[in-house]
Amino acid sequence: MRIVFCGVGALGSHAGWLCRNLPAEMSFVDFDRVESKNLLAQAFTKQALGRNKAEAMRLQLLNFYGVRATAFPVRIESTNVESLGEPADLLVDCLDNVAGRHVLSTYARASSKPLVHAALSADGQFGLIRWDEHFVPDPEDVAGQATCEGGEHLPAIARIGAALAGIVQEFVELGLKRDVMVARSGITTTSLVDASPATRRYHVPSSRSAGAQANDFEVR
Amino acid sequence: MAIFNITYSGISADLAGELDEILADDEIRKIAVEVVRSGGIPGLHIANLADDAFDQFVVDRFDTPEGGKRIYLRPKVPFGNRG
Repeated sequence: MRIVFCGVGALGSHAGWLCRNLPAEMSFVDFDRVESKNLLAQAFTKQALGRNKAEAMRLQLLNFYGVRATAFPVRIESTNVESLGEPADLLVDCLDNVAGRHVLSTYARASSKPLVHAALSADGQFGLIRWDEHFVPDPEDVAGQATCEGGEHLPAIARIGAALAGIVQEFVELGLKRDVMVARSGITTTSLVDASPATRRYHVPSSRSAGAQANDFEVR
Repeated sequence: MAIFNITYSGISADLAGELDEILADDEIRKIAVEVVRSGGIPGLHIANLADDAFDQFVVDRFDTPEGGKRIYLRPKVPFGNRG
């Protein structure tokens, strides 16, 4: 199983860091570099300053945990998405721009690659994790809307990153595709699909509370 | 009828009753303001909520396997146009 994380910013760095326990090979794709303003919102250390984010993630996993990964210090575009995505058994979209999300989604649909998207609201209060089957990018409130770069939203970022890592783990180990909304009050499952080869069934909760947890829903 | 969920200011909760599923998105946003002001959403009671509090929110509609409907009113997750 090879997982390709596309975007290694706030969500991608935290989710990748929390997927280091998986029996999978991880790859990271990002063209950007680690800046000091990233240290409070992204899972990078001071030693990573100035490095490419994908390479910094690879080095941190190797040096701190002995986990090997690969890094691709490039921007995902229509011209390279096929070569980056071809080895992937799972694509994870943690990009910060709608153009890149469209490129990934188009590729995933054409190639039948599993793709899960993660995103954070501008106020840092809410996150959405949704498999490509249900994915429609939201429009911006204003053009060029800022994403979270300071440390103000770190707990929310970590919460959404952890939820994403859990969803990736659930897919790797059980073949489940879970969509969730992540708020301060809890995680709400909005769809659950058994995508394992044996069965493909939809499971959506018929009732739940705001604080419902992932294991509240049984897979029949 | 549909179960109606609102996520606002980090809190996500269901309306105590159900909502008519044929309502338009703008009607749902207006109803949401009223029910949050009135305390109809457990844990999400804001008496002085602004009229336009949900103007930029997204309405998601899902079918459940049991044949029911769910409506979610949630913040956007826009992620800019950088790059």
